[in-house]
Order: sequence, then structure tokens, then C-alpha cells
Amino acid sequence: MTVSLADLPMGHEFEATRLKLSPEWVREYAAAVEDGVTMPDVPPLALTTLSFRALLDQMALPEGTIHVGQELSFSGWGEQPRTLVAAARIASRGERQGWVLMGLEMTIDDESGTPMMSGRATITFPTTGRSREPRA
Amino acid sequence: VTQQTRDIRTYRVGDALPAVTKVLTQEKIDRYADASGDHNPLHIDPAFAATTQFGGTIAHGMLVLAYISEVMGAGFGRSWAESGSLKVRFRGAARPGDTVTASGRVVRMEDESAVCEVECRNGRGEVLISGEASVRVS
Repeated sequence: MTVSLADLPMGHEFEATRLKLSPEWVREYAAAVEDGVTMPDVPPLALTTLSFRALLDQMALPEGTIHVGQELSFSGWGEQPRTLVAAARIASRGERQGWVLMGLEMTIDDESGTPMMSGRATITFPTTGRSREPRA
Repeated sequence: VTQQTRDIRTYRVGDALPAVTKVLTQEKIDRYADASGDHNPLHIDPAFAATTQFGGTIAHGMLVLAYISEVMGAGFGRSWAESGSLKVRFRGAARPGDTVTASGRVVRMEDESAVCEVECRNGRGEVLISGEASVRVS
């Protein structure tokens, strides 16, 4: 059973995950966001999306979760195919008026440990939020 | 297809970046849900979403933010992927049927970087995302 993000405390560190940046997935991502820029081999936000995807393998979002803010810095260049290492932690967590406000810090490095992306997502969800089991 | 064609060293304060416009559909939101693995029912389940304060499904914030990334990529090419950074707030919900326009404008130069105001608006002029993005231009 996947743990709900709602049940995790501030300071929780998600297990670092090795990710394959496959050409097939990059094509799927680029089609989904209709990215017409052909200059980068990998749209930089694909790295962020991939790190979120890795997080979702370790926890489930409470129903009704809303993304309220995002900070990102890119320092690498994604060429295909490539193996990446994603890490994340719950950097902040507070409750107000029935809503949880949570900050998630994320990093992606290449296999040699060179940083490629770092960021912080701010999300909110109801304190009563339940998580659905991930789809098969 | 939008591609970066301008020498990024020529950007000056006040210059606009190439805007991009997309029409959101539920099919596109579903496609992004599959690519991202984020099947939050707020995005893909109309029955659940109807019970929320939004009254219907909304697009993933990261889907709409990708349009701003496309603007920065169109304006600054490889430099965006190599040295870009951004800080944005998601201020409004993008819904199926919305026409979303992402745009940007250079507002200052600092530390050899161009700092741009960036935003997404829907067809009614409502701000969906706003913030700043910067990229090294030297």
C-alpha cells in the first residue's frame, strides 16, 4: 500500500531514485505539453516532471491537492538516453484553516553526481484529504 | 514550430519574448496525467472535480508551466536548459476549453542574466501563473 503524502512529516526524505530519461518518455512528455521548441533535446521541465513522477512512485497525493508555487533552477543539459538520480524531502509543513501547506524540495543529478536541476514545489491539500490508490 | 532564432546577447530591457498560445482540452490534460503519472482526480475525474471549489476539472500546474518554459526556450534556446531558473505562483485554474497564452518580457539585466516577467493568462485575461524567470545571456 502506498503511503499518503498527508501522513508524512516535515523532514521526511524520499528514497533517492534512479530514473531513465528514455527517448520514448521524452516524446510522450513533449507531445503532452505540445512543446514546439526543438532546440533542446529534452525540455527542461521534463526533468521536473520526471522527478514528480518518481515521487508518485513512493507516495500518493491526497485528493484535491493543488500546486500553488514552483521554484526551479536548471544547471544541466539532458541528452538522451540518460540515467538520472532524483531526490526529494519535505522541507516545510504547516496547517491553516483546514488546509495543509507543504514545501517539497527536489533535486536531480546525473549519474556522476553533477546537479542538473533543483527546485521547490509548494502544494496544498485539505487536512481531511484522502489518497486514492495509484492506477494500475 | 517555435524555435529560438535571436542572438540572446541582443536582448534588452523591455523586449518581449515570443508568446505561445494553446487550447486546453480534457484529452490534453489526460495525456499529461499519463506522462507525469499524476492522476489526481481533480485533473481527470469530472465527477470528483465537480465536488471541489473548482466545480470541474483543471489542468495540472506543471502542464501550464510548461508553456512558460516553451516561451523561455523559444527566446533563449539552449541557455534556458543550461542556466535557467524561475519562481512562479499558480494564481488561477486552467480549465478544459481555455485558450492559454504564455508570454514573457525582459524587465532587468543583472549578473549577466536577463530577468523576465513571465505569465500565463486565459482567454478572459485572467492570470493563471505569474512570476519571474532568468537566464544567463553572456
